[in-house]
Amino acid sequence: MLKNRRQSVNRPPTPDLTDDQAKVPTLQEVINIKLIESGEKEQLMELVREKLTECGWKDEMETICRAYIKKQGRKNVTLDELVRVITPKGRASIPDSIKAELLQRIRTFLVSAAL
Amino acid sequence: NMFFVTLVKFPMSIVVCVQLALHVFGDLLDSITVDVASECHRIARLGLERNLDEEEEELRLSAQARARIADPSNNVEANGKYVVDIFGQTHPPVANEIFDCMNCGRSIMAGRFAPHLEKCMGKGRKARLKATRSSTAAQNRYSRGSPVSTYSPYSSTASINRLSNGNPRAATGECSNGTVEEP
Repeated sequence: MLKNRRQSVNRPPTPDLTDDQAKVPTLQEVINIKLIESGEKEQLMELVREKLTECGWKDEMETICRAYIKKQGRKNVTLDELVRVITPKGRASIPDSIKAELLQRIRTFLVSAAL
Repeated sequence: NMFFVTLVKFPMSIVVCVQLALHVFGDLLDSITVDVASECHRIARLGLERNLDEEEEELRLSAQARARIADPSNNVEANGKYVVDIFGQTHPPVANEIFDCMNCGRSIMAGRFAPHLEKCMGKGRKARLKATRSSTAAQNRYSRGSPVSTYSPYSSTASINRLSNGNPRAATGECSNGTVEEP
């Protein structure tokens, strides 16, 4: 019947219905879905982007990238390398006030999502 | 929804809440970091950062110039009249490029332009005295705003009356003190 048709989609195998553990999403996954569905994730992204640009964090990261690229030669750099280079510095140089504000907002969302 | 009920009711939930918030924050930060890296990567690979190549060229040129300076054959004192700069160029003491003065149209040497312009535009003492007779009288006649000359109030208001759109207000006493009122 359906097997006559050409498969146009690579479907992963249907999970075994007897295996209940596999179906339960983690708390993080559930929160993530709620964040996306409510639109809060996008708003948070824009907010963080704006604040990190304003305080010069983005420029700082770009400077580090450019220095690295200059050193390695611009054709020898992969995206992974760049991400690896700026991630630790990026995390360390987030201004405390911005981090606190964002965390506060996220916690508020979590509480409201729980109700 | 059991997860969330426990989240609110139990103190342990506060720890979980904080951990979750940190995780969400970390997620956001990672996304933005990837975006920044991605943009830089793209610009680098496409060679869109013009400054990069220019900077390298500048560094090369200045390294070259430094080498030339270090070379004793380019010693400044030995050359006497002309000084050699770091790019190996010499410049005459007075700029000798010639162009046309935009005021009087004469051909002037660049190094002599400032003094010429002083005389040419009447900024110098002699030139200003010379100009007093001819140009300042003309300037007074055509001054804007309230008519300055109090010697002939009638002639100025008369001309205002001619120019007005027939508004009777302009023709009567309002303008007698010499000020102009636009209708």
